[in-house]
Amino acid sequence: MELIKKIFKDPFAKTAFLVLCILYLIILFADFIAPYSNYYANREMAYAPPSKVYTIDENGKFSRPYTYNYIRKFEPALMQTVFEEDRSQKYYIKPFARGEKYKFLGLIPTDRHLFGVGVNDGADKGGEIHLLGTDINGRDVFSRLLFGGRISMTVGFLSLLIVFPIGLLYGGVSGYFGGIIDNLMMRFAEATMAIPSFYLLIILAAILPSGMTSVQRFSLIIVILALIGWAGFARVVRGMVLSIKKEDFVLAEKTLGASNLRIILKHILPQTTSYVIIAMTLSVPSYILAESGLSFLGLGIQQPDASWGNMLKEAQEFTNILYRPWLLTPGVLIFLAVLSFNLLGDFIRDYLDPKGRTRV
Amino acid sequence: MKKIWGKYWGKYWGKYWSKLGSAFLIILIIALCLKACIRADIPEDYTRKLPDSSIDNIVYPEKNKNITINGIDFLQTQAPAGKFGGELVISTIGEGPKTFNPCNTKDATSSSMAGMLYDGLLTTEPRTGEVIPLLAKDFEVNGNDYIVHLRHGIVWTDGKPITADDVMYTYEEVVFKGLGNPSSMENMKVEGKLPEIKKIDDYTVKFTTAKPFAPFLRQLSYPIVPKHYFKPYSDKGESEFNAFLNPNTPPEEIVSNGAFKLKEYVAAQRVVFVRNPNYYKINTKNERLPYLDKVVYMIVGDTNNEILKFEAGELDLLSIRGENVARYKLKEPESDYKIYNLGPDTGTLFLIINLNNRKNNEGKWNVDPQKQKWFGNRDFRAAIDWAVDRKNMVQNIAQGVAKPLFTAESLNSIYLNKYIKGHPKDKSVAEKSLEKAGFYNKNGILYDSDGNRVEFDLYTNAGVLEREALGVMIKQDLEDLGMKVNFKPIEFNTLVNKLSNTNDWDMAIMGLTGSPLEPHDGKNVWKSNGPLHIFNQRPQNYTVDDRLEWEKELDEIFEQGALKLTFEERKPIYDRYQTIIYNQKPIIYLYSPIRIAAIRKKFKNIFPTPLSGLVYNLDEIYIDKGEIK
Amino acid sequence: MEFVRYISKRILQTIPLLIIVSLISFFIIRLSPVDPLAELRLNPSISQETLDKEIKRLNLDKPIYIQYFSWAKSFVKGDLGYTSAGEKVSVKLKERIPNTLLLTFVVIFMTWSVGVPLGILSAIKKESSFDRMLTILASIGMAIPSFFFAILMLIFAVKTGWFPVGGLTSYNFNDLSLSGKILDIAKHLCLPALVLFTISLSGLQRQMRANMLEVLDSDYVKFARAKGLSEGKVIFKHALRNAVNPMITLLGFEFAGLLSGAALTEYVFQYPGLGRLILEAVMKSDINLVMASLMMGTIMLILGNLIADILLMLTDPRLRRGGQ
Repeated sequence: MELIKKIFKDPFAKTAFLVLCILYLIILFADFIAPYSNYYANREMAYAPPSKVYTIDENGKFSRPYTYNYIRKFEPALMQTVFEEDRSQKYYIKPFARGEKYKFLGLIPTDRHLFGVGVNDGADKGGEIHLLGTDINGRDVFSRLLFGGRISMTVGFLSLLIVFPIGLLYGGVSGYFGGIIDNLMMRFAEATMAIPSFYLLIILAAILPSGMTSVQRFSLIIVILALIGWAGFARVVRGMVLSIKKEDFVLAEKTLGASNLRIILKHILPQTTSYVIIAMTLSVPSYILAESGLSFLGLGIQQPDASWGNMLKEAQEFTNILYRPWLLTPGVLIFLAVLSFNLLGDFIRDYLDPKGRTRV
Repeated sequence: MKKIWGKYWGKYWGKYWSKLGSAFLIILIIALCLKACIRADIPEDYTRKLPDSSIDNIVYPEKNKNITINGIDFLQTQAPAGKFGGELVISTIGEGPKTFNPCNTKDATSSSMAGMLYDGLLTTEPRTGEVIPLLAKDFEVNGNDYIVHLRHGIVWTDGKPITADDVMYTYEEVVFKGLGNPSSMENMKVEGKLPEIKKIDDYTVKFTTAKPFAPFLRQLSYPIVPKHYFKPYSDKGESEFNAFLNPNTPPEEIVSNGAFKLKEYVAAQRVVFVRNPNYYKINTKNERLPYLDKVVYMIVGDTNNEILKFEAGELDLLSIRGENVARYKLKEPESDYKIYNLGPDTGTLFLIINLNNRKNNEGKWNVDPQKQKWFGNRDFRAAIDWAVDRKNMVQNIAQGVAKPLFTAESLNSIYLNKYIKGHPKDKSVAEKSLEKAGFYNKNGILYDSDGNRVEFDLYTNAGVLEREALGVMIKQDLEDLGMKVNFKPIEFNTLVNKLSNTNDWDMAIMGLTGSPLEPHDGKNVWKSNGPLHIFNQRPQNYTVDDRLEWEKELDEIFEQGALKLTFEERKPIYDRYQTIIYNQKPIIYLYSPIRIAAIRKKFKNIFPTPLSGLVYNLDEIYIDKGEIK
Repeated sequence: MEFVRYISKRILQTIPLLIIVSLISFFIIRLSPVDPLAELRLNPSISQETLDKEIKRLNLDKPIYIQYFSWAKSFVKGDLGYTSAGEKVSVKLKERIPNTLLLTFVVIFMTWSVGVPLGILSAIKKESSFDRMLTILASIGMAIPSFFFAILMLIFAVKTGWFPVGGLTSYNFNDLSLSGKILDIAKHLCLPALVLFTISLSGLQRQMRANMLEVLDSDYVKFARAKGLSEGKVIFKHALRNAVNPMITLLGFEFAGLLSGAALTEYVFQYPGLGRLILEAVMKSDINLVMASLMMGTIMLILGNLIADILLMLTDPRLRRGGQ
């Protein structure tokens, strides 16, 4: 808690911390905040630009915010698709509007969203609001950003949940026992480290069994990311354990006849806490980036699910960057999240380990 | 002094600036929010300036002539005579050529590069698709005899004459022995037998096939290679021959007969060709072609990079895909390039359904028996056909630059069955069709007559935006009917393994290349024992005859169609095959992109055709600098 | 001779490492359902005979352990085999390795000549706003996904026309004069090097800062200060040398790291380097090529470390005596 106090004293760390808090809050309440679901698609509205929200009406008076629908037109001479506002009908933006049904926090069934312009239920063709436009399938980019964040922002943490136990145990055992065991275990760890990690990542991602659901794929990608990260972590832990095990209190425990596992788990590993915290904040961004790199190659999270990485894939087309800048927003969010994690991680490292002995 | 200042500076910044800065930031954010919230409703002007749609008529030149000057049988183009010199920089997507040996090419890039170097006896007329002489002076067809006359006095790049010995060598010792890529040998076989070849004199060769065989004539466009250069390698056997003319061969060593010679190959970067001064084609002023000094192929990894390179002026030619067309069309009037519409693409894009009802080696069903019942049911497949929304696929994914496709032959094929008109999406027809097949819908969920929920996997290759978006749309369309579709984009090579080896898939979105001229090229796909008969793939050496009725008919069609010689006789036969596919729907065709290409205006003698594209006549293209503004 | 013994011991140690690496990668690749002949299979004009021939040539019809042993046998003999497209692997690698080395050296040179001084500066001015700014700037560079940054750079190149769009040489490279050639390559290197530089700068700068802080905190620096030496002398004469030493170890890792980290950048820039080659080979499961390049990568990593160790021994007398 001392740490959090410190964070709030530093303007950059504070900003980074707040940005991350906001991001996580938003993705936690994604179903509520997003006007549409992850899969909602209006195929008549593919690549529609962001809806314009007006607060001053055509007579120059202030008004409740409203928007118009777009109409798609195709201009054969130019081979161009254009969107024009349909000014015949205004759609007022209502707070807590009804929309698609979902379960609030996965528990309470409801159909209220933070904002919306009415239900689109076939008979009554309601309005559409796309704050950040739509993608190639006519899906709301704003909503998908929120849902995509759920995957992108958690993939790193979940991987770490696998990396840490493995790395701690592996490094702990190796460092504690030393000798031949240490030698063998470290050779193996070095071998996995020696394979350029990015290629290992691609090879592993390419062999994912194809008959998987998106949840399975998501969890396997987490496991793969973890498989690549554990060795380096284990090595550092081993180094720390090597020095800790020579300390008096460990020797005392030993003479008292405590079991090896107990000593490792109860006495040695807790000493590495500060390193674990630092490693955690500093390695999450690399996982976020790794996921986006995998998605760039088409090996990450797959359609129709959203992740920032696979949404950004759409933004790589030259014309999309020039004419559909709203497709770049996932890149901005990746940037923000990674930057915040880095700044926060740096700060925590400076604080917990002012001499910078731990290297991640 | 400096140090003190530094300290002070640091302190000052650390303390005050942060507060000032954050205050400033907050104000800025609030201001931005306000700015974003307040927007006046002023109508936008949507009028656009349309380009003048005067279609300039391309005047195509007359057909090439043979002309003999000083004992040399030249081929004379009738295209307007131009100026010599200059270079054309074009691109090839992928990893570049893997060999320059025209007998050993297995991928499109290698064969087009090797094709630059080696001409065949015959070639295809770029507009009509008929077979015309190239390296040969002319040819006669008498039943199953094909007599080819060679040109007198034309030479290889090393100055040695091109004679019947080279032709004999190419066919007898390379093609018929299955050296290099044995597919060419297979394609030459008529009823399992290779044709006979006989040298009549130094400039005449006769081929005799076992039976009259229509696709055979086009096989004579196989590149002719120099005997004196190739023979030492082909004598050493298969592996030596395969390594021969690999991309690292010193270019000056290569003996060829094409309009251009190899100058330089830089791995993963470019292939440079230079003018062959001994080429046998001349212009109307009797000057030897080609005009261009150099043709450079830049090896680019993907279409995005190609576009950027064109945009930066590093490329002279660009084929433009759907979403990018509008930009170039819009900028065309003030640009230095011209855009040509080449019509629908040769390839096909489709949704394919697995009709496999066999077990694999381990005794497991390739496709779940209950799914076999659905996929084997024609009405089920028809329902899917009626449910897919081709109109919006064209509009959203190809940005309007495509046409819906319903036939197995591509839209630019000369054998296209024009009676198949297709239909728009109609959910009610699809539902009726499902009902007829015994499916019922309860609470928006589709069950089969045994009460099983209809659920299956839909695969496509990951990483391709177009296919992934198609998958998302098809999934939606089918889920509207109450099916549950698990859409799974997977890695390309893995997908192909599934389709052609392990056969454990339900549906897939795929594409295939095709030939607009020769439907018989599709035999590997349509014949029931073909290696690409993926919708009902039989294992190799499969002896059980479990062909469906219409598969039998397809087998028959592909036997018969090849034995008929004239277009008029063959057309109805191949029309029939398209009708069968359209009725049975093992493959549901989706759309065919329209090819649009841009080339810099300075290049002249550009005669685009739907069959051959834009720069098939590299030897006739020249640069007219006077036009550059 | 302590020195020679140490080196030979280190080299011997790498052999089991190489074996484990090759085993892991070979089996992972071969157990994957990726079909190396996919492109051939989907080509309607390719006959079954061609496919059979290719399967035989690539040994795909044999059990996996036999494939491994035949690969290992020829690898030991120095024969790297053929790619799935029939080209010699050794030739392909020879084409690419110089390009990758060039890019890597340029990037390492850039990051070191910028990162090390910046690291020292920020250590000296620890927790000043200068230090802060550097941290933030470096973090910004690290936070952009490399491929995305590369794409933006390409568009920048197109829009300004200042830089060529990808590749390593222009199409008329061979017609240029020597100085023109050098300039041409330099122009092509700018953007990819810039992207890799931005990404790897922050790590180096942080590392240097940490080392420097550690040294500045050590007893002998305190002693030197106590002796009344000027701050400049303390830093440049005493602290700097000791702070740079551990960085040399990093050099080896950075070398290998760039090899893998550069893949996406090379891919976007169409740079004819090893990274892109491996990337494409992995996607196609081109086993001989992947194995050869992974082994190259591993050997480069080990060599890098070895060289770093030797350098370290030469610069640091303490280590020279201990031999470890």
